[in-house]
Amino acid sequence: MRPCGRFRRAVLAARGRHARENRRIPRIGAVARALQPSCPNTEDQKGSRGAMHTTQLVYLSQGLAAYQSMEAISNNLANMSTAGFKREMPQFHEYVDQLKPGKHGAQSLSFVEPSGSWRDMRPGPIEMTHAPFDLAINGQGFFAIQTANGMRYTRNGHFTLDASGRITTAEGDPLQGSGGDISVSATDGDVHIAADGMVSGQNGQIGQVQLVDFPDDSALVKEGSGLYSTTQASQTPDNASLEQGAIEGSNVQPVAEITKMIEVMRSYQAVASMSETHSALMRTSMDKLTNATQS
Amino acid sequence: MRALSIAATGMSAQQTNVEVIANNLANMNTTGYKSQIAEFEDLLYQNVESPGAQSSDTGSLLPNGIQLGAGVRTAAIARVTTQGALQSTSNPYDLAIQGSGYFRVTMPDGSNSFTRSGNFALSAEGQIVTQDGYVVAPGIAVPSNATGIQVNAQGQVLAQIPGQAALQTLGQLELDRFPNEAGLNAVGSNLFLQTAASGAPQAGVPGSTGYGTIQEGYLEASNVDPVAAITSLITAQRAYEMNSKVVTAADGMMQQTAAMAQG
Repeated sequence: MRPCGRFRRAVLAARGRHARENRRIPRIGAVARALQPSCPNTEDQKGSRGAMHTTQLVYLSQGLAAYQSMEAISNNLANMSTAGFKREMPQFHEYVDQLKPGKHGAQSLSFVEPSGSWRDMRPGPIEMTHAPFDLAINGQGFFAIQTANGMRYTRNGHFTLDASGRITTAEGDPLQGSGGDISVSATDGDVHIAADGMVSGQNGQIGQVQLVDFPDDSALVKEGSGLYSTTQASQTPDNASLEQGAIEGSNVQPVAEITKMIEVMRSYQAVASMSETHSALMRTSMDKLTNATQS
Repeated sequence: MRALSIAATGMSAQQTNVEVIANNLANMNTTGYKSQIAEFEDLLYQNVESPGAQSSDTGSLLPNGIQLGAGVRTAAIARVTTQGALQSTSNPYDLAIQGSGYFRVTMPDGSNSFTRSGNFALSAEGQIVTQDGYVVAPGIAVPSNATGIQVNAQGQVLAQIPGQAALQTLGQLELDRFPNEAGLNAVGSNLFLQTAASGAPQAGVPGSTGYGTIQEGYLEASNVDPVAAITSLITAQRAYEMNSKVVTAADGMMQQTAAMAQG
Protein backbone atom coordinates (compact mmCIF):
# COMPACT_ATOMS: atom_id res chain seq x y z
CA MET A 1 0.00 0.00 0.00
CA ARG A 2 1.38 3.39 -0.91
CA PRO A 3 2.15 5.64 2.04
CA CYS A 4 0.20 8.57 0.69
CA GLY A 5 -2.94 6.44 0.40
CA ARG A 6 -2.76 5.28 4.01
CA PHE A 7 -2.11 8.83 5.17
CA ARG A 8 -5.08 10.11 3.26
CA ARG A 9 -7.39 7.43 4.65
CA ALA A 10 -6.18 8.09 8.21
CA VAL A 11 -6.83 11.82 7.84
CA LEU A 12 -10.28 11.21 6.42
CA ALA A 13 -11.17 8.74 9.18
CA ALA A 14 -9.98 11.10 11.89
CA ARG A 15 -11.86 13.98 10.36
CA GLY A 16 -15.06 11.95 10.14
CA ARG A 17 -14.88 11.01 13.81
CA HIS A 18 -14.20 14.58 14.85
CA ALA A 19 -17.15 15.70 12.80
CA ARG A 20 -19.40 13.21 14.59
CA GLU A 21 -18.00 14.34 17.90
CA ASN A 22 -18.59 18.02 17.08
CA ARG A 23 -22.19 17.35 16.15
CA ARG A 24 -22.82 16.11 19.67
CA ILE A 25 -21.96 19.48 21.16
CA PRO A 26 -25.33 21.21 20.98
CA ARG A 27 -26.79 18.22 22.87
CA ILE A 28 -24.81 19.13 25.99
CA GLY A 29 -27.83 21.01 27.15
CA ALA A 30 -29.01 24.47 27.91
CA VAL A 31 -25.92 26.52 28.05
CA ALA A 32 -23.59 29.42 27.27
CA ARG A 33 -20.02 30.52 27.31
CA ALA A 34 -18.02 30.70 30.53
CA LEU A 35 -15.09 32.12 28.75
CA GLN A 36 -14.50 33.75 25.45
CA PRO A 37 -12.82 31.10 23.25
CA SER A 38 -9.27 32.20 23.59
CA CYS A 39 -8.27 31.00 20.16
CA PRO A 40 -10.20 31.80 17.01
CA ASN A 41 -11.84 28.94 15.17
CA THR A 42 -9.20 27.62 12.87
CA GLU A 43 -11.10 26.06 10.05
CA ASP A 44 -10.01 23.02 8.16
CA GLN A 45 -9.57 23.02 4.42
CA LYS A 46 -13.28 22.69 3.79
CA GLY A 47 -13.91 25.61 6.10
CA SER A 48 -16.90 24.05 7.80
CA ARG A 49 -15.92 22.56 11.17
CA GLY A 50 -14.72 24.08 14.40
CA ALA A 51 -11.21 23.12 15.37
CA MET A 52 -10.58 20.19 17.70
CA HIS A 53 -9.79 22.35 20.72
CA THR A 54 -13.04 24.29 20.29
CA THR A 55 -14.76 21.11 21.40
CA GLN A 56 -12.70 21.15 24.58
CA LEU A 57 -13.63 24.81 25.13
CA VAL A 58 -17.31 23.93 24.93
CA TYR A 59 -16.74 21.20 27.51
CA LEU A 60 -14.80 23.64 29.64
CA SER A 61 -17.60 26.22 29.54
CA GLN A 62 -20.03 23.61 30.87
CA GLY A 63 -17.48 22.39 33.41
CA LEU A 64 -16.96 25.90 34.78
CA ALA A 65 -20.72 26.40 34.94
CA ALA A 66 -20.97 23.22 37.00
CA TYR A 67 -18.29 24.48 39.40
CA GLN A 68 -20.12 27.79 39.79
CA SER A 69 -23.42 26.01 40.45
CA MET A 70 -21.69 23.82 43.00
CA GLU A 71 -20.36 26.89 44.82
CA ALA A 72 -23.82 28.43 44.94
CA ILE A 73 -25.36 25.18 46.22
CA SER A 74 -22.71 24.84 48.90
CA ASN A 75 -23.33 28.45 49.98
CA ASN A 76 -27.08 27.76 50.16
CA LEU A 77 -26.57 24.61 52.21
CA ALA A 78 -24.03 26.30 54.50
CA ASN A 79 -26.69 28.94 55.22
CA MET A 80 -29.61 26.61 55.84
CA SER A 81 -29.70 27.74 59.49
CA THR A 82 -29.05 31.44 58.82
CA ALA A 83 -32.03 33.57 59.83
CA GLY A 84 -33.54 35.55 56.95
CA PHE A 85 -31.21 34.01 54.35
CA LYS A 86 -32.46 33.97 50.77
CA ARG A 87 -31.17 31.22 48.49
CA GLU A 88 -29.52 32.01 45.19
CA MET A 89 -28.86 30.02 42.05
CA PRO A 90 -26.67 31.06 39.13
CA GLN A 91 -28.46 31.25 35.81
CA PHE A 92 -26.90 30.26 32.52
CA HIS A 93 -27.80 30.88 28.95
CA GLU A 94 -26.67 29.70 25.58
CA TYR A 95 -23.94 31.61 23.85
CA VAL A 96 -24.07 30.78 20.15
CA ASP A 97 -20.95 31.03 18.07
CA GLN A 98 -21.82 31.13 14.35
CA LEU A 99 -19.45 29.15 12.17
CA LYS A 100 -18.94 29.43 8.48
CA PRO A 101 -21.86 27.70 6.70
CA GLY A 102 -21.01 24.21 5.53
CA LYS A 103 -22.45 21.79 3.04
CA HIS A 104 -25.61 21.28 5.08
CA GLY A 105 -26.38 24.91 5.83
CA ALA A 106 -25.64 27.15 8.81
CA GLN A 107 -23.54 25.71 11.61
CA SER A 108 -23.01 26.97 15.10
CA LEU A 109 -21.42 26.08 18.41
CA SER A 110 -23.12 26.63 21.76
CA PHE A 111 -21.22 27.58 24.87
CA VAL A 112 -22.51 27.96 28.40
CA GLU A 113 -22.48 31.54 29.65
CA PRO A 114 -23.42 32.71 33.16
CA SER A 115 -26.15 35.32 32.94
CA GLY A 116 -26.57 36.34 36.55
CA SER A 117 -27.81 34.82 39.74
CA TRP A 118 -31.41 34.42 40.64
CA ARG A 119 -32.39 35.24 44.19
CA ASP A 120 -35.33 33.40 45.65
CA MET A 121 -37.15 36.08 47.67
CA ARG A 122 -39.85 33.75 48.95
CA PRO A 123 -40.25 33.95 52.72
CA GLY A 124 -38.57 31.41 54.97
CA PRO A 125 -40.44 29.50 57.66
CA ILE A 126 -41.34 31.50 60.79
CA GLU A 127 -39.76 29.82 63.81
CA MET A 128 -40.76 30.64 67.38
CA THR A 129 -37.86 31.59 69.66
CA HIS A 130 -39.79 33.48 72.39
CA ALA A 131 -36.91 35.94 72.67
CA PRO A 132 -38.50 39.38 73.25
CA PHE A 133 -36.56 41.18 70.53
CA ASP A 134 -36.76 38.51 67.84
CA LEU A 135 -39.00 39.80 65.06
CA ALA A 136 -40.24 38.01 61.99
CA ILE A 137 -41.66 39.90 59.02
CA ASN A 138 -44.83 38.27 57.81
CA GLY A 139 -45.04 39.46 54.22
CA GLN A 140 -42.94 41.83 52.15
CA GLY A 141 -40.32 44.25 53.39
CA PHE A 142 -37.04 44.64 55.22
CA PHE A 143 -35.80 46.02 58.52
CA ALA A 144 -33.74 49.20 58.11
CA ILE A 145 -30.40 49.15 59.93
CA GLN A 146 -28.11 52.14 60.42
CA THR A 147 -24.54 50.87 59.95
CA ALA A 148 -21.21 52.69 59.82
CA ASN A 149 -21.36 52.34 56.02
CA GLY A 150 -24.83 53.82 55.73
CA MET A 151 -28.34 52.43 55.68
CA ARG A 152 -28.57 48.66 55.19
CA TYR A 153 -31.57 46.35 55.01
CA THR A 154 -32.13 42.88 56.37
CA ARG A 155 -34.73 40.15 56.85
CA ASN A 156 -32.78 38.72 59.78
CA GLY A 157 -35.02 39.60 62.71
CA HIS A 158 -32.70 38.64 65.53
CA PHE A 159 -32.29 41.79 67.58
CA THR A 160 -31.00 42.50 71.05
CA LEU A 161 -30.47 45.53 73.26
CA ASP A 162 -27.11 47.22 73.57
CA ALA A 163 -25.63 48.74 76.73
CA SER A 164 -27.54 51.98 76.20
CA GLY A 165 -30.84 50.17 75.62
CA ARG A 166 -31.07 50.61 71.84
CA ILE A 167 -32.53 47.74 69.78
CA THR A 168 -29.62 46.52 67.65
CA THR A 169 -28.54 43.64 65.44
CA ALA A 170 -26.07 41.02 66.65
CA GLU A 171 -23.37 43.28 65.15
CA GLY A 172 -24.50 46.19 67.33
CA ASP A 173 -25.99 48.33 64.55
CA PRO A 174 -29.26 50.01 65.58
CA LEU A 175 -32.63 49.04 64.13
CA GLN A 176 -34.39 52.08 62.69
CA GLY A 177 -37.83 53.16 63.72
CA SER A 178 -39.95 55.92 62.27
CA GLY A 179 -37.99 58.36 64.45
CA GLY A 180 -34.48 56.88 64.27
CA ASP A 181 -33.03 54.52 66.88
CA ILE A 182 -35.43 52.80 69.28
CA SER A 183 -34.25 52.96 72.91
CA VAL A 184 -35.79 50.90 75.66
CA SER A 185 -35.21 51.97 79.26
CA ALA A 186 -34.98 49.65 82.25
CA THR A 187 -38.28 50.93 83.67
CA ASP A 188 -40.20 49.92 80.55
CA GLY A 189 -40.52 46.37 81.86
CA ASP A 190 -41.53 43.72 79.38
CA VAL A 191 -41.57 45.22 75.92
CA HIS A 192 -44.39 44.42 73.57
CA ILE A 193 -43.98 44.83 69.83
CA ALA A 194 -47.25 44.90 67.95
CA ALA A 195 -47.94 43.58 64.45
CA ASP A 196 -47.71 47.14 63.06
CA GLY A 197 -44.28 47.58 64.65
CA MET A 198 -45.39 49.68 67.62
CA VAL A 199 -42.96 49.12 70.50
CA SER A 200 -44.50 49.71 73.90
CA GLY A 201 -43.58 49.10 77.52
CA GLN A 202 -45.12 49.77 80.90
CA ASN A 203 -44.63 53.51 80.43
CA GLY A 204 -46.43 53.59 77.11
CA GLN A 205 -45.23 53.80 73.54
CA ILE A 206 -41.49 53.79 72.89
CA GLY A 207 -41.26 53.87 69.11
CA GLN A 208 -42.32 52.13 65.96
CA VAL A 209 -40.24 49.69 63.91
CA GLN A 210 -40.16 50.89 60.36
CA LEU A 211 -40.32 48.37 57.55
CA VAL A 212 -39.21 49.31 54.07
CA ASP A 213 -39.63 47.73 50.67
CA PHE A 214 -38.08 48.26 47.25
CA PRO A 215 -39.44 48.19 43.72
CA ASP A 216 -36.94 45.46 42.73
CA ASP A 217 -35.90 43.08 45.52
CA SER A 218 -33.62 41.05 43.31
CA ALA A 219 -31.41 44.07 42.54
CA LEU A 220 -30.41 44.48 46.20
CA VAL A 221 -26.73 43.77 46.74
CA LYS A 222 -25.85 41.16 49.35
CA GLU A 223 -23.16 42.38 51.73
CA GLY A 224 -22.87 39.42 54.06
CA SER A 225 -24.10 39.34 57.68
CA GLY A 226 -27.61 39.17 56.25
CA LEU A 227 -27.43 42.79 55.10
CA TYR A 228 -28.41 44.21 51.72
CA SER A 229 -27.51 47.56 50.26
CA THR A 230 -29.21 49.44 47.47
CA THR A 231 -29.52 52.80 45.82
CA GLN A 232 -33.23 52.32 45.19
CA ALA A 233 -35.66 54.62 46.96
CA SER A 234 -37.49 52.85 49.75
CA GLN A 235 -41.24 52.59 49.97
CA THR A 236 -43.69 51.31 52.58
CA PRO A 237 -44.52 47.64 52.14
CA ASP A 238 -48.16 46.84 51.45
CA ASN A 239 -48.84 43.69 53.37
CA ALA A 240 -46.34 43.33 56.16
CA SER A 241 -46.86 42.56 59.79
CA LEU A 242 -44.43 41.78 62.59
CA GLU A 243 -44.40 38.75 64.79
CA GLN A 244 -42.65 39.17 68.15
CA GLY A 245 -40.72 36.23 69.63
CA ALA A 246 -40.26 34.61 66.25
CA ILE A 247 -37.66 34.66 63.55
CA GLU A 248 -37.79 34.07 59.82
CA GLY A 249 -35.62 31.06 59.03
CA SER A 250 -33.60 30.48 55.89
CA ASN A 251 -35.64 29.68 52.78
CA VAL A 252 -33.12 27.04 51.68
CA GLN A 253 -34.86 23.73 51.07
CA PRO A 254 -32.24 21.05 51.69
CA VAL A 255 -34.00 18.48 49.50
CA ALA A 256 -34.02 20.81 46.52
CA GLU A 257 -30.36 21.75 47.04
CA ILE A 258 -29.18 18.14 47.39
CA THR A 259 -31.15 17.14 44.28
CA LYS A 260 -29.66 20.04 42.36
CA MET A 261 -26.22 19.08 43.65
CA ILE A 262 -26.57 15.53 42.31
CA GLU A 263 -27.77 16.93 39.00
CA VAL A 264 -24.74 19.23 38.75
CA MET A 265 -22.40 16.42 39.74
CA ARG A 266 -23.82 14.12 37.06
CA SER A 267 -23.68 16.76 34.36
CA TYR A 268 -20.07 17.43 35.30
CA GLN A 269 -19.34 13.70 35.09
CA ALA A 270 -20.95 13.58 31.67
CA VAL A 271 -18.87 16.49 30.44
CA ALA A 272 -15.70 15.05 31.94
CA SER A 273 -16.24 11.67 30.29
CA MET A 274 -17.07 13.28 26.95
CA SER A 275 -13.94 15.35 27.23
CA GLU A 276 -11.95 12.21 28.00
CA THR A 277 -13.44 10.40 25.00
CA HIS A 278 -12.58 13.36 22.87
CA SER A 279 -8.98 13.53 23.97
CA ALA A 280 -8.64 9.75 23.49
CA LEU A 281 -9.91 10.27 19.98
CA MET A 282 -7.35 12.99 19.37
CA ARG A 283 -4.59 10.77 20.72
CA THR A 284 -5.61 7.88 18.45
CA SER A 285 -5.74 10.09 15.41
CA MET A 286 -2.35 11.58 16.22
CA ASP A 287 -0.93 8.06 16.57
CA LYS A 288 -2.44 6.99 13.28
CA LEU A 289 -1.23 10.09 11.51
CA THR A 290 2.30 9.76 12.78
CA ASN A 291 2.36 6.01 11.98
CA ALA A 292 1.11 6.77 8.52
CA THR A 293 3.82 9.32 7.83
CA GLN A 294 6.56 7.16 9.33
CA SER A 295 5.80 4.04 7.30
CA MET B 1 -12.44 24.80 44.67
CA ARG B 2 -14.50 27.19 46.74
CA ALA B 3 -17.40 24.75 47.31
CA LEU B 4 -15.14 22.77 49.65
CA SER B 5 -14.31 25.69 51.92
CA ILE B 6 -17.91 26.95 51.83
CA ALA B 7 -19.17 23.54 52.92
CA ALA B 8 -16.49 23.55 55.64
CA THR B 9 -17.89 26.83 57.05
CA GLY B 10 -21.33 25.20 57.03
CA MET B 11 -20.02 22.17 58.89
CA SER B 12 -18.23 24.20 61.54
CA ALA B 13 -21.34 26.37 62.02
CA GLN B 14 -23.49 23.30 62.53
CA GLN B 15 -20.92 21.90 64.93
CA THR B 16 -21.22 25.08 67.02
CA ASN B 17 -24.99 24.67 66.82
CA VAL B 18 -24.78 21.08 68.16
CA GLU B 19 -22.45 22.23 70.95
CA VAL B 20 -24.86 24.97 72.03
CA ILE B 21 -27.80 22.55 71.98
CA ALA B 22 -25.78 19.96 73.92
CA ASN B 23 -25.03 22.58 76.59
CA ASN B 24 -28.74 23.48 76.76
CA LEU B 25 -29.72 19.84 77.20
CA ALA B 26 -27.00 19.29 79.80
CA ASN B 27 -28.43 22.22 81.79
CA MET B 28 -32.04 21.16 81.45
CA ASN B 29 -32.30 20.79 85.24
CA THR B 30 -30.01 23.66 86.24
CA THR B 31 -31.79 26.22 88.40
CA GLY B 32 -32.10 29.59 86.70
CA TYR B 33 -30.36 28.44 83.49
CA LYS B 34 -31.29 30.37 80.35
CA SER B 35 -31.15 28.49 77.07
CA GLN B 36 -28.90 29.72 74.30
CA ILE B 37 -29.35 29.91 70.55
CA ALA B 38 -26.55 30.02 67.99
CA GLU B 39 -27.22 32.75 65.45
CA PHE B 40 -25.71 32.50 61.98
CA GLU B 41 -24.93 35.06 59.33
CA ASP B 42 -23.84 34.72 55.74
CA LEU B 43 -20.23 35.64 54.95
CA LEU B 44 -19.04 38.27 52.50
CA TYR B 45 -20.09 38.08 48.88
CA GLN B 46 -17.74 38.26 45.96
CA ASN B 47 -19.11 40.31 43.12
CA VAL B 48 -18.21 38.38 39.97
CA GLU B 49 -20.42 40.75 38.03
CA SER B 50 -22.13 43.51 39.99
CA PRO B 51 -25.86 43.93 39.67
CA GLY B 52 -26.40 46.68 37.14
CA ALA B 53 -23.17 45.95 35.23
CA GLN B 54 -23.35 46.42 31.49
CA SER B 55 -23.90 43.17 29.66
CA SER B 56 -23.59 44.51 26.12
CA ASP B 57 -22.17 47.41 24.18
CA THR B 58 -25.64 48.83 23.66
CA GLY B 59 -25.98 49.40 27.39
CA SER B 60 -28.26 46.61 28.56
CA LEU B 61 -27.74 45.99 32.26
CA LEU B 62 -27.45 42.76 34.18
CA PRO B 63 -30.55 42.85 36.36
CA ASN B 64 -29.15 40.56 39.03
CA GLY B 65 -25.41 40.36 38.70
CA ILE B 66 -23.41 37.40 39.87
CA GLN B 67 -22.59 37.35 43.55
CA LEU B 68 -20.85 34.31 44.97
CA GLY B 69 -21.21 33.77 48.69
CA ALA B 70 -18.37 32.55 50.87
CA GLY B 71 -20.38 30.52 53.38
CA VAL B 72 -21.63 31.11 56.89
CA ARG B 73 -20.31 32.17 60.28
CA THR B 74 -21.59 32.17 63.83
CA ALA B 75 -22.70 35.75 64.52
CA ALA B 76 -23.68 35.33 68.15
CA ILE B 77 -24.74 32.84 70.73
CA ALA B 78 -27.73 34.61 72.16
CA ARG B 79 -29.28 33.88 75.51
CA VAL B 80 -33.05 33.54 75.63
CA THR B 81 -33.96 35.37 78.83
CA THR B 82 -37.55 34.23 79.13
CA GLN B 83 -38.96 33.19 82.49
CA GLY B 84 -38.41 29.58 83.54
CA ALA B 85 -41.15 27.62 85.32
CA LEU B 86 -41.35 28.03 89.11
CA GLN B 87 -40.94 24.80 91.02
CA SER B 88 -42.11 24.50 94.59
CA THR B 89 -39.47 23.30 97.06
CA SER B 90 -40.94 24.55 100.38
CA ASN B 91 -37.41 25.50 101.45
CA PRO B 92 -37.55 29.03 102.97
CA TYR B 93 -34.14 29.90 101.53
CA ASP B 94 -35.15 29.01 97.97
CA LEU B 95 -36.09 32.24 96.21
CA ALA B 96 -37.36 32.55 92.66
CA ILE B 97 -37.65 35.79 90.69
CA GLN B 98 -40.97 36.10 88.94
CA GLY B 99 -40.26 38.70 86.27
CA SER B 100 -37.03 40.42 85.38
CA GLY B 101 -33.97 41.17 87.47
CA TYR B 102 -30.99 39.39 89.00
CA PHE B 103 -29.84 38.77 92.57
CA ARG B 104 -26.55 40.53 93.26
CA VAL B 105 -23.84 38.32 94.74
CA THR B 106 -20.70 39.69 96.41
CA MET B 107 -17.67 37.68 95.33
CA PRO B 108 -14.77 37.03 97.76
CA ASP B 109 -12.73 39.77 96.01
CA GLY B 110 -15.49 42.29 96.63
CA SER B 111 -16.71 42.47 93.04
CA ASN B 112 -20.31 41.85 92.07
CA SER B 113 -21.77 39.04 90.06
CA PHE B 114 -25.40 38.37 89.25
CA THR B 115 -27.60 35.31 89.28
CA ARG B 116 -31.16 34.14 88.71
CA SER B 117 -30.51 30.98 90.67
CA GLY B 118 -32.06 31.52 94.10
CA ASN B 119 -31.14 28.30 95.85
CA PHE B 120 -29.58 30.04 98.86
CA ALA B 121 -28.49 28.73 102.25
CA LEU B 122 -27.09 30.05 105.52
CA SER B 123 -23.38 30.32 106.17
CA ALA B 124 -21.66 29.51 109.45
CA GLU B 125 -21.99 33.21 110.34
CA GLY B 126 -25.73 33.13 109.66
CA GLN B 127 -25.50 35.10 106.42
CA ILE B 128 -27.64 34.29 103.38
CA VAL B 129 -25.19 32.85 100.82
CA THR B 130 -25.27 31.03 97.46
CA GLN B 131 -24.50 27.32 97.11
CA ASP B 132 -20.85 28.33 96.55
CA GLY B 133 -20.79 30.31 99.81
CA TYR B 134 -20.80 33.79 98.25
CA VAL B 135 -22.77 36.41 100.15
CA VAL B 136 -26.04 37.54 98.62
CA ALA B 137 -26.07 41.36 98.65
CA PRO B 138 -26.68 43.36 100.77
CA GLY B 139 -25.50 40.65 103.21
CA ILE B 140 -28.39 39.75 105.43
CA ALA B 141 -27.56 37.95 108.67
CA VAL B 142 -30.16 35.76 110.30
CA PRO B 143 -29.98 35.72 114.11
CA SER B 144 -29.14 32.28 115.47
CA ASN B 145 -32.23 32.24 117.67
CA ALA B 146 -34.61 32.84 114.75
CA THR B 147 -37.10 30.02 114.38
CA GLY B 148 -37.99 30.81 110.85
CA ILE B 149 -37.58 33.38 108.11
CA GLN B 150 -39.96 34.78 105.61
CA VAL B 151 -39.19 36.65 102.41
CA ASN B 152 -42.08 38.59 100.98
CA ALA B 153 -42.75 39.44 97.33
CA GLN B 154 -41.05 42.85 97.75
CA GLY B 155 -37.83 41.20 98.93
CA GLN B 156 -38.09 42.09 102.62
CA VAL B 157 -36.47 39.43 104.77
CA LEU B 158 -38.32 38.94 108.07
CA ALA B 159 -37.47 36.62 110.95
CA GLN B 160 -39.53 34.98 113.62
CA ILE B 161 -37.77 35.52 116.94
CA PRO B 162 -39.02 33.57 119.98
CA GLY B 163 -40.71 35.86 122.45
CA GLN B 164 -41.51 38.55 119.87
CA ALA B 165 -45.01 38.85 118.53
CA ALA B 166 -44.11 40.88 115.44
CA LEU B 167 -41.72 39.66 112.76
CA GLN B 168 -38.33 41.31 112.88
CA THR B 169 -37.13 42.92 109.63
CA LEU B 170 -33.61 41.71 108.82
CA GLY B 171 -33.03 43.48 105.55
CA GLN B 172 -34.14 44.17 102.03
CA LEU B 173 -33.07 42.11 99.02
CA GLU B 174 -32.55 44.10 95.84
CA LEU B 175 -32.75 43.08 92.22
CA ASP B 176 -30.56 44.42 89.43
CA ARG B 177 -31.68 44.96 85.89
CA PHE B 178 -29.56 45.56 82.81
CA PRO B 179 -30.34 47.50 79.65
CA ASN B 180 -29.28 44.35 77.74
CA GLU B 181 -29.32 41.28 79.91
CA ALA B 182 -28.45 39.06 76.93
CA GLY B 183 -25.07 40.81 76.96
CA LEU B 184 -24.08 39.49 80.40
CA ASN B 185 -21.02 37.29 80.57
CA ALA B 186 -21.80 33.82 81.93
CA VAL B 187 -18.95 32.64 84.12
CA GLY B 188 -20.39 29.30 85.23
CA SER B 189 -21.91 28.35 88.61
CA ASN B 190 -25.06 30.16 87.37
CA LEU B 191 -23.27 33.50 87.79
CA PHE B 192 -23.10 36.36 85.33
CA LEU B 193 -20.78 39.33 85.13
CA GLN B 194 -21.53 42.81 83.89
CA THR B 195 -19.99 43.67 80.50
CA ALA B 196 -19.78 46.70 78.24
CA ALA B 197 -22.55 45.13 76.16
CA SER B 198 -24.89 44.54 79.08
CA GLY B 199 -24.67 48.08 80.42
CA ALA B 200 -24.53 49.11 84.07
CA PRO B 201 -26.77 47.35 86.61
CA GLN B 202 -29.74 49.31 87.88
CA ALA B 203 -30.76 48.27 91.36
CA GLY B 204 -34.38 48.33 92.42
CA VAL B 205 -36.80 46.96 94.95
CA PRO B 206 -38.58 43.77 93.84
CA GLY B 207 -42.11 44.50 92.71
CA SER B 208 -41.40 48.11 91.65
CA THR B 209 -41.99 49.06 88.01
CA GLY B 210 -39.92 46.89 85.71
CA TYR B 211 -38.65 44.56 88.42
CA GLY B 212 -39.88 41.08 89.20
CA THR B 213 -41.21 39.85 92.52
CA ILE B 214 -39.70 37.28 94.87
CA GLN B 215 -41.38 33.95 95.46
CA GLU B 216 -40.16 32.22 98.57
CA GLY B 217 -40.07 28.42 98.60
CA TYR B 218 -39.77 28.22 94.84
CA LEU B 219 -36.92 27.82 92.41
CA GLU B 220 -36.86 29.00 88.83
CA ALA B 221 -36.29 25.99 86.59
CA SER B 222 -34.23 26.29 83.42
CA ASN B 223 -36.15 27.59 80.43
CA VAL B 224 -34.79 24.83 78.15
CA ASP B 225 -37.58 23.20 76.20
CA PRO B 226 -36.34 19.62 75.77
CA VAL B 227 -38.62 18.87 72.81
CA ALA B 228 -37.48 21.99 70.95
CA ALA B 229 -33.85 21.21 71.85
CA ILE B 230 -34.08 17.66 70.54
CA THR B 231 -35.73 18.71 67.29
CA SER B 232 -33.13 21.41 66.69
CA LEU B 233 -30.43 18.84 67.47
CA ILE B 234 -31.82 16.60 64.73
CA THR B 235 -31.95 19.54 62.31
CA ALA B 236 -28.38 20.57 63.15
CA GLN B 237 -27.10 17.03 62.73
CA ARG B 238 -28.81 16.64 59.34
CA ALA B 239 -27.55 20.03 58.23
CA TYR B 240 -24.03 18.93 59.15
CA GLU B 241 -24.54 15.76 57.14
CA MET B 242 -25.76 17.66 54.10
CA ASN B 243 -22.80 20.01 54.19
CA SER B 244 -20.52 16.98 54.35
CA LYS B 245 -22.29 15.64 51.23
CA VAL B 246 -21.29 18.85 49.46
CA VAL B 247 -17.69 18.11 50.40
CA THR B 248 -18.05 14.61 48.90
CA ALA B 249 -19.65 15.97 45.73
CA ALA B 250 -17.03 18.70 45.29
CA ASP B 251 -14.33 16.11 45.89
CA GLY B 252 -15.96 13.91 43.23
CA MET B 253 -15.83 16.76 40.72
CA MET B 254 -12.19 17.45 41.53
CA GLN B 255 -11.40 13.74 41.08
CA GLN B 256 -13.03 13.83 37.66
CA THR B 257 -10.97 16.89 36.78
CA ALA B 258 -7.77 15.19 37.87
CA ALA B 259 -8.69 12.08 35.87
CA MET B 260 -9.15 14.25 32.77
CA ALA B 261 -5.61 15.49 33.08
CA GLN B 262 -4.31 11.92 33.09
CA GLY B 263 -6.28 10.97 29.94
